[in-house]
Amino acid sequence: MVATPNGFDLDTSGQRIVVDPVTRIEGHMRCEVNVDENGIIRNAVSTGTMWRGLEVILKGRDPRDAWAFTERICGVCTGTHALTSVRAVEDALGITIPDNANSIRNIMQLNLQIHDHIVHFYHLHALDWVNPVNALRADPKATSELQQMVSPSHPLSSPGYFRDVQNRLKQFVESGQLGIFKNGYWDNPAYKLPPEADLMATTHYLEALDLQKEIVKIHTIFGGKNPHPNWLVGGVPCPINVHSTGAVGAINMERLNLVSSIIDKCIEFNKNVYLPDVVAIGGFYKNWLYGGGLSSQACLAYGDIPEHPNDFSAEQLHLPRGAIINGDLSVVHDVDVRDPEQVQEFVDHSWYEYAEPGLGLHPWDGVTQPKYELGPNAKGTRTNIQQLDEAAKYSWIKAPRWKGHAMEVGPLARYVVGYAKGHEDIKNQVDGLLRTMDLPLTAIFSTLGRTAARALESEYCGRLQKHFFDKLVTNIKNGDESTANVAKWDPSTWPKEAMGVGMTEAPRGALGHWIRIKDGRIENYQCVVPTTWNGSPRDTQGNIGAFEASLMNTKMERPEEPVEILRTLHSFDPCLACSTHVMSPDGQELTTVKVR
Amino acid sequence: MSQIETFYEVMRKQGITRRSFMKYCSLTASALGLGPAFVPQIAHAMETKPRTPVIWVNGLECTCCSESFIRGAHPLAKDVVLSMISLDYSETLMAAAGHHAEAALEETIEKYKGNYILAVEGNPPLNEDGMFCIVGGKPFVEQLKHAAQHAKAVISWGACASYGCVQAAKPNPTQATPVHKVITDKPIIKVPGCPPIAEVMTGVITYMLTFDRLPELDRQGRPAMFYGQRIHDKCYRRPHFDAGQFVEHWDDENARKGFCLYKMGCKGPTTYNACSTVRWNEGTSFPIQSGHGCIGCSEDGFWDQGSFYNRVTDLTQFGIEANADKVGMTAAGVVGAGVAAHAAVSALRAAQRKTQDKKEEA
Amino acid sequence: MTEQSIHTPNPDVYPLESSRLTGDATAQDIESIRKRTSVFVYEWPVRLWHWVNALCITVLIATGWLIADPLPTMTFAEATHQFVMGYVRFAHFAAAQILTIGFFGRIYWAIVGNHHARQLFYVPILNKRWWREVVFEIKWYLFLEREPKKYVGHNPLAQIAMFFFMTLGITFMIITGWALYAEGAQAGSLSHNVMGWLIGWVGNTQFLHSVHHLGMWFIVIFMIVHIYAAIREDILSRQSMVSTMISGTRTFKDDRPD
Repeated sequence: MVATPNGFDLDTSGQRIVVDPVTRIEGHMRCEVNVDENGIIRNAVSTGTMWRGLEVILKGRDPRDAWAFTERICGVCTGTHALTSVRAVEDALGITIPDNANSIRNIMQLNLQIHDHIVHFYHLHALDWVNPVNALRADPKATSELQQMVSPSHPLSSPGYFRDVQNRLKQFVESGQLGIFKNGYWDNPAYKLPPEADLMATTHYLEALDLQKEIVKIHTIFGGKNPHPNWLVGGVPCPINVHSTGAVGAINMERLNLVSSIIDKCIEFNKNVYLPDVVAIGGFYKNWLYGGGLSSQACLAYGDIPEHPNDFSAEQLHLPRGAIINGDLSVVHDVDVRDPEQVQEFVDHSWYEYAEPGLGLHPWDGVTQPKYELGPNAKGTRTNIQQLDEAAKYSWIKAPRWKGHAMEVGPLARYVVGYAKGHEDIKNQVDGLLRTMDLPLTAIFSTLGRTAARALESEYCGRLQKHFFDKLVTNIKNGDESTANVAKWDPSTWPKEAMGVGMTEAPRGALGHWIRIKDGRIENYQCVVPTTWNGSPRDTQGNIGAFEASLMNTKMERPEEPVEILRTLHSFDPCLACSTHVMSPDGQELTTVKVR
Repeated sequence: MSQIETFYEVMRKQGITRRSFMKYCSLTASALGLGPAFVPQIAHAMETKPRTPVIWVNGLECTCCSESFIRGAHPLAKDVVLSMISLDYSETLMAAAGHHAEAALEETIEKYKGNYILAVEGNPPLNEDGMFCIVGGKPFVEQLKHAAQHAKAVISWGACASYGCVQAAKPNPTQATPVHKVITDKPIIKVPGCPPIAEVMTGVITYMLTFDRLPELDRQGRPAMFYGQRIHDKCYRRPHFDAGQFVEHWDDENARKGFCLYKMGCKGPTTYNACSTVRWNEGTSFPIQSGHGCIGCSEDGFWDQGSFYNRVTDLTQFGIEANADKVGMTAAGVVGAGVAAHAAVSALRAAQRKTQDKKEEA
Repeated sequence: MTEQSIHTPNPDVYPLESSRLTGDATAQDIESIRKRTSVFVYEWPVRLWHWVNALCITVLIATGWLIADPLPTMTFAEATHQFVMGYVRFAHFAAAQILTIGFFGRIYWAIVGNHHARQLFYVPILNKRWWREVVFEIKWYLFLEREPKKYVGHNPLAQIAMFFFMTLGITFMIITGWALYAEGAQAGSLSHNVMGWLIGWVGNTQFLHSVHHLGMWFIVIFMIVHIYAAIREDILSRQSMVSTMISGTRTFKDDRPD
């Protein structure tokens, strides 16, 4: 039995269970746990199993191109890395963006939050709670009644509608070709929903699949495509022309109307389907409040969605900034990503090496030297791992720490920080939900809380999207059609050397890019991303990361079927392509650089 | 009655009549060089054939291809997954995980040997024994080779699988390698793009299901029907290009009039894709329409062609700062200066000689 | 039997020895020089090609430059009726077609024309004497020789330059240029049938644009050297240069043998 500094007792004596690949996530991940004789998880090991080296690739490139490279870090949270990147470059070069660009960027970023949250809940997460096979036993009429009860204003609720879906499902299941449902854990007692709720949720799985392709059209309008819309240093690439000739080539009235109608669709879906589903499904799992992990202890948020362009002060961000440590919600600490003492990364348990062990480095001073090796107690071979040795190096993810603390980031962390700060919208939402579900505040520190926070945030972002759309239209009405500032577009106008940082709240949590520019080229580029925080391995002190912490002490109904593990890991919406990042090999030079 | 949703049923659901179906069967028969006697057999096969199993594996990638795939509007992603194919392995969407997921893969390979389609998203890294991408404790490249061994055909989704994409951009630290360099004994259909357009992805799959053959490929192995022409060839801003009307700066008057983005570095003239015809997200828009030039994301090595905003792009072979004009102007400048100096010396020498000759004469 | 002549034949002296031994001057040339101070070198197709080619290259460079870096935007009509970039590209493609046809014609003439028409297409690397004359020419350009030698066609250094910059350079530009043209002409067109393989082989044609552009600079450098050398040699050497490409006749300024 080992006690970690962040308060978890690890016991490796029980049966070891390996889940690899962890599915329904972005990228590649492995998880190993030890369960005791009662099926309770007593030790958890999470491993990022991919590495792409994007920051090495960025070296020497045009900083104006960096958004496109970093955007390809992740195609699920598409665009958020691009936004972070253009912000980092603009910060370094002192470029200000027009008001319209701020509104459009916010609309796009909020649109991503909503899209990502909905797709995550229905298509990556739902099968942890919902059993589509069980839905075959549902009575369509009773399902219709359930639907009308939980969401009276949702139009798709007739018995015939549910019968059609059920028939289609039946045909699918009876074909014997189960496709994505193959080998699911459909008879596992961990599934608690009655057949009618399963049918309703499965139906919404399909509805959400149809809707999500509509939501992203906002990206298509402003950025030309989705996934991976286009961005621009200095503003946004889409010009506005609502009055005169040639308006078909620009953001015109038709485009604005389309944006507006999609914003309304998002709001409708959140109100009629997403939130009611979370409440309804959550109601059946009220007693399953595992998975809190670090959320009640240590949460971090950088904040995002600035009301005014070029102003990232915490008080005018719509998504909150701050840090909570030691479980003390009464104090929200200021976060300064430029401070070399605050954000540091450790690699003692990651497949990298520093000049000396035990070192923690701020992203500006980062070093990455890949070093793939298995520990002495690992089982299997170098290219056929049976079991990892968590006492040694065991992940492609580094271990970032905030003032030495392992932190949780993401929707729940944002909501915990926001709640602690007394953020009015967030407080109202959380209190309202807890009242509806008749749960105490402590219930939010759970897997379910994480899932619920995401739904609440989707709803909040829907309203914010509307706010910024109105703001954009008002600004255009006032005669401002500007969308880009090109004063410093030409590299000849840049200083010889510059450094900057960009921050956003990605759907999965706090995201930061650090850039250093020299002679018009990228000299060094670093990303510390949400899943690096959440999926981090142990650090030098032995603190376990958020994934690992959240799995601790969870009871598994059937240890050989990882339903509970998936449920909790999915509640973070892991994004492994993001998390496994790399510093430039000669980043050592940066040790003398002072952060301004 | 069989509950398996057959090819015929799928076609019927797509609005194809019995009559058209039989016509299609006879066309297939003649295409295969078979006589009319075989038509009923083909029809029978079509009516009873199960949905084609698809194994979808993921290497080093960003999942943008999966995301794009579910953006499909016609057919809808749900119709593809529920009625047209049997997506038997997809780490992104499948319910099972760990060894249950691996078992699903094995069962599919075993049961449908030679009859399933392998869809690859991302690519295998070969450095560090392939362990820069691990699936089930083993290098991804092993899974890829294993799944490819009995596949009927391989689809390389996106720029990653087709060409290597961003992780293979210089200096390619993980040695990320496109699929066709690892799998060499199977027909491979490249569907490049970062990501490919949703309807192009579903279009390629449904083509294979509907016509029961591989699409015609161009010299680079891409379906000619979607990648046969450049974006430039079908760009609605092309008249502005020919007129010589360009956006000169971001958000200038010309940008607001929708002029050509050529001077902003648009790669439409060198990019083969269907963006300007099919467009993105149910035809809503495409990059050029939204005001940003094409970055050429469906082209081989598009990351290493210099800045996305330059027309005359960098030649990394000559160093980071070099493009054709810089190299050429420097060389021409040096040669020009050399010529001028040489001319001066020649004149001087000639004059000297004249005086010398005069002296000798004198 | 003595022939009527203004010259005094001198059978002991072998004129144009270097030129003969490098393969430049033919027996007829030697005979001619014994009688005259000039040699007929370039037949009319060669001369015509030279000037047409020069004109095409000039047009191609100017328009090529404007394709890579177009003129400032001008609006004097609706886009449909305005064709500025279109005309620039038309001129480029038209000049390229003439240049290509001309180059093939020139190759044809190398086969059917006189000895000197072939000099552009090979470098006599196996001829030892030719290498000695290359060294001599280099020395002449480095001001280490007091006096140049006589050559009927190209001097050895010029032959190298001609071969690499013109023969290979133009071939490269024709190949890459036609591949780029095939992109616009599209699959099924003649140019695509002939040159489409290059598009498939190169992969990303942005690279093709870059090297085609670089090729232009290669030709520009040749032009600088070529025009300078032609004028310089016209003045300083012992034979005519510029006028030879007009009349076809090489005249020599003195009657010394080599």
